[in-house]
Amino acid sequence: MISEANYHPSTEMLKKFTAGSLLSGLNVAISAHIELCETCRHKTSKIEAKAAIDWLQTNDDQKQNDFSGLALDIVNQPQIEKPREKEAILDQIHMLDHSVSLPKVLAKAASQGLVWKQLGGGINQALMHLDDETQCEFIYMKPGSQTPMHKHQGSETTLVLDGSFNDELGHYQRADFIYRTEKDMHQPRSEEGCLCFSVLDSPLTFTKGLARLLNPFFKYQFRRSAAGRGI
Amino acid sequence: MDNLAEKQFAVRKASPPGCTEVGMVPSVENNLDPTSDEALLVKVSNSKSKEAFDQLFDRFANKVFAHGMKIMRNEQMAKDLVQEAMLTVWQKAPLYNMDKGNVQSWIFTITRNRCFDMLRKQKRQSAVLSADDIWPAGFEDAEALSEAERGSVEVQISQIEKLVRQLPAAQQAVVEQIHILNRTHEEAAQFLEIPLGTLKSRLRLAMGKLRQSLGTES
Ligand SMILES: [Zn+2]
Repeated sequence: MISEANYHPSTEMLKKFTAGSLLSGLNVAISAHIELCETCRHKTSKIEAKAAIDWLQTNDDQKQNDFSGLALDIVNQPQIEKPREKEAILDQIHMLDHSVSLPKVLAKAASQGLVWKQLGGGINQALMHLDDETQCEFIYMKPGSQTPMHKHQGSETTLVLDGSFNDELGHYQRADFIYRTEKDMHQPRSEEGCLCFSVLDSPLTFTKGLARLLNPFFKYQFRRSAAGRGI
Repeated sequence: MDNLAEKQFAVRKASPPGCTEVGMVPSVENNLDPTSDEALLVKVSNSKSKEAFDQLFDRFANKVFAHGMKIMRNEQMAKDLVQEAMLTVWQKAPLYNMDKGNVQSWIFTITRNRCFDMLRKQKRQSAVLSADDIWPAGFEDAEALSEAERGSVEVQISQIEKLVRQLPAAQQAVVEQIHILNRTHEEAAQFLEIPLGTLKSRLRLAMGKLRQSLGTES
């Protein structure tokens, strides 16, 4: 099932994705979105072609190396005649009453095993360790659930995989890619339930010391303190 | 297919009108410029040509090195990247699909991916996902061909012929090689001067269309 997404990564982000200069957690979110979104897939292959041309046209002052012998070593290696066999991976997440099929990259990531943790308010979280700079997780919001109003410590990227949710800025469904910076403040709620993949780019502030108390998924006080600051 | 590939393809497709009968399909690839990166890679792919690889190596090795210096700022690592990336070019040449993008883009993505993996290894980061998982190999053929070849087709030959003639010339040529002239995939790729990956992908597309038209799609 491919549904047309309404919210996409910015062109700037796709360029960084193509260049390989994003944090890996974000790369994974974009990769998964691209698998679900024809528009961005097309856009990315154009950006890739352009990046290749730029790469070849750059006149760098690097000395021209002599790699003699290397090419000869290489051609003595065997070639690959067949694509590698597909590994057996978890490609679905089983929810209460139905299963959700995952984009390949997430299926591979999830195959290390998911441990679900209840965070209260009908929110469940399964953390994954994909790199040292981001916190990556699946979030499942039960039907009728609502997270406390929260502001982000860093940026938060969310990819909807199943169901839908709303916040003050919109309604998001499967394949939608939502990027929030720390200035944004929102309060997601889901009528029908929702499975998302989400990437937070400053995991430390979420797990350390006082910041833990502010973690929106754990504490409701934050709503008052944020409101108090007039945000 | 991106625009670039479409354009290149259009140039190659200049074949005389009226020779679309099955059995007289013009060989659309034969006018590939022999000095182009594409032609060299086809030779690497189809006849394991060391000379052709040598030329590709000369064209790209220092560009790969420059990319490594820019990202990793270390001469030894940049040299290692040249080895890793160019080895991948050699090893994966038979999987390259020219319908999905040009050789430059393909080698660019290989360089980026090997560089990404090297950096991650250096930072001792989790190895759950490799670059090839994150950037799916759009230029290569991952799916097995058997899928497209499965299923019995029991339709009048004349109907099939008509449908084959409606396929794009490049796909007709492949169907002709495999199903009419009974050549192996390797022989057909050699003859048409296209990478094996491209041949398989065209055959899959063609068979998919035929089965769809014939209503035998499972
Ligand atoms: Zn998109």
